[in-house]
Amino acid sequence: MKTAFRKSRLAAFAALLSLSTSYAHAAGVLTIARNEDSTTFDPIKSAQNVDNWVFSNVFDVLVRVDASGTKLVPGLAESWTISDDGLTYTFKLRDAKFSDGAPVTAEDAAFSLIRIRDDKGSLWGDSFKVIDTATATDPKTLVVKLKGKSVPFLSMMALPNASVLPKKLVDGAAADAFAEKPVGSGAFSLVEWRRGDRIILKKNPNYWDAAKVSLDGVEWLVIPDDNTRMLKIQAGEVDAAITVPFSRVAELKTNPDLKVISDPSTREDHMLINHEHGALAKKEVREALDMAIDKQAIVEAATFGLGEVAYSYVPKGALYHYADNLRRPYDPEKAKKMLADAGASGLTLNYVVNAGKETDEQIAVLVQQQLAKAGVGVTLQKVDPSQSWDMLVNGDYDISVMYWTNDILDVDQKTTFVLGHDTNMNYMTRYKNDEVKALVEAARLETDPAKREAMYVTLQKLAKGDVNWIDLYYSPYINVTAKNIENFHQNPLGRFFLEETVKN
Amino acid sequence: MSAPVSATRMNRTLLAGLVIVGGFALAALAAPLIAPYDPIFQDGAARIQPPSLAHPFGTDNFGRDILSRIIFGARVDLQMAVIGVFFPLVIGTVIGAIAGFFGGLVDAVLMRLIDIILAFPFLVLMLSIIAILGPGLSSFYIAMALVGWVSYARLIRAQILVLKNADYAVAAVSLGFSRTRVLFRHLLPNSVAGSLVFCMSDSVLVLLSGAAISYLGLGVQPPTAEWGIMVAEGQAFLSQAWWITLFPGLSIVLLAFGFSMIGDALGEAMGVHE
Repeated sequence: MKTAFRKSRLAAFAALLSLSTSYAHAAGVLTIARNEDSTTFDPIKSAQNVDNWVFSNVFDVLVRVDASGTKLVPGLAESWTISDDGLTYTFKLRDAKFSDGAPVTAEDAAFSLIRIRDDKGSLWGDSFKVIDTATATDPKTLVVKLKGKSVPFLSMMALPNASVLPKKLVDGAAADAFAEKPVGSGAFSLVEWRRGDRIILKKNPNYWDAAKVSLDGVEWLVIPDDNTRMLKIQAGEVDAAITVPFSRVAELKTNPDLKVISDPSTREDHMLINHEHGALAKKEVREALDMAIDKQAIVEAATFGLGEVAYSYVPKGALYHYADNLRRPYDPEKAKKMLADAGASGLTLNYVVNAGKETDEQIAVLVQQQLAKAGVGVTLQKVDPSQSWDMLVNGDYDISVMYWTNDILDVDQKTTFVLGHDTNMNYMTRYKNDEVKALVEAARLETDPAKREAMYVTLQKLAKGDVNWIDLYYSPYINVTAKNIENFHQNPLGRFFLEETVKN
Repeated sequence: MSAPVSATRMNRTLLAGLVIVGGFALAALAAPLIAPYDPIFQDGAARIQPPSLAHPFGTDNFGRDILSRIIFGARVDLQMAVIGVFFPLVIGTVIGAIAGFFGGLVDAVLMRLIDIILAFPFLVLMLSIIAILGPGLSSFYIAMALVGWVSYARLIRAQILVLKNADYAVAAVSLGFSRTRVLFRHLLPNSVAGSLVFCMSDSVLVLLSGAAISYLGLGVQPPTAEWGIMVAEGQAFLSQAWWITLFPGLSIVLLAFGFSMIGDALGEAMGVHE
């Protein structure tokens, strides 16, 4: 009796297993394993990469960034013109439909821009304050008037968060329901969101470029543990796994059934320094720390040679990146002397580490050892990532390693965040330099590309000179797919081009 | 049937346990002499090397020698096992003796306190206390002392309850000895056998919790070599560099095994059954 019961249970389990496997392997459905689940389907209420990746599948924007991450190309807007004074933008919309069949109108586009500016739940209100009015002069023409000149404005139209949403489904009280069951004009539409497990998308037949979409659907699976995620792709249980740990790349590359894809990114990892804490307020001390950290060793040990030593806050490959920026040589002896001269020998630093992030923990151990050679003691404080963020915001740290990936093409966004002296205290560093502050504001308004580039080069030099933080390394996006998957790519801003992906 | 056979087996168990624990203790004491490398020295040129003659247990992702780290780690892990048992043993013994001997209200209050502590899962309580105190070894010892004493207190209390009615105890009281003298000079020495046996198996638990807490990043802080941390650090490399995790893991198992063999043998010798 007992055995029979066990057997039947086993059979049921096996059937279930084969059912789920066959579902995951359904022809044309791409399964992607990632480490975090989405948080919402209301684009204005998130500033996280995990959400943006899916927003770009489900929604569409007026202007897109191309696959190389360097050019703006038409999205829902077929073309656009800018008035001579740089204050009026006129967008011509193409004939596109939402996944429910309703046409995408200029009215919807205007509504979406005003909503991201004004809605209380919007995390992007400040960035879109520059918009004065957005009006539909006819169903296919959107006119946006700015309060002042803003060169980065067009780049911001490509933010997944500024996606065009159907006004009649989002307006007013409907927004919360919409965030669970969104309707967009992207290449795919949402079938089901099983929170913490997976997001199931199917091809949107009403997508304006649907003929080019090869996949029948996409499943974003949540598999937080790095080891498990890699085992799943090795076992062929998923078609793609993203965010491959650096330590696993060499091993995965030897597997003939898999393709390891390395796409250029705008990610930069850097060491934040709290300028308000004691000796760290002195420029010489920060310079000494920069010289005491061997970035090449970090690149080799923590990124397994896959990263590249960083020397400017503007990442390599991004607009206005200054390749000749100052690189202080690694020289622990000189650093020690500089610290002594600055009256900071015997310095002890409180290093806040994100617990559970493999690379971050490795960097912490490396940096601790390196700084010891320059006579700097480091106390590692491993805390949960959500807690470490609060500690940085509250200034409850001396040093900590964080990263940034650009959301928009224009360099102004990161510059404002890192050097603009706005509410985030220059990415929690409390760095202050009025010359830098004024230059950030001026560069935002400069329309002459040559002059603008010169301004950003100066900013990169000034930031480096002041050691606003310590640039550590640039690294690519590393993803892995099964051999039969083609055109699975991210652009440097992180967007996946799944509308071009093919599953053979 | 045969007592001699069981005595021999007991002796062998005891001997094996002593050899294992003693071996680790010796290694810990002589660590600077016998470890081939500095346990925290990072050799960038020798990262993730499999076991070889130069590095018998291989190297980790920072190029540190695993054998040297295990030898130095023995210091920390043995220290955790000893201190982590000592304070609960002392506190538990005193509290248990008082509760058992004086009875009444004192006993009732102390026993309810023990019930309360036992009502929480052990590791959850440990983690909460450490979370409040902040990560580090001293927090671990404090948490261990606050949580671990209850088992000893219950053991001793039960013993004292039996012994305080024994003839010699009654005789001592009737001779006019003070109650504290009777308790600490007559009763306690006769009731600690069970605790001493128990503290051997308890040290296994302490060792494992210490390693677990360091594994979670709340115990020993890097770059100090400690077996639990070593297991945690090697986890990311499990599929391509098994030696980073395996050797410290084996060390934990072996030392725990040694303690529990001593505990078993002592228990049988003293006729104590847990």
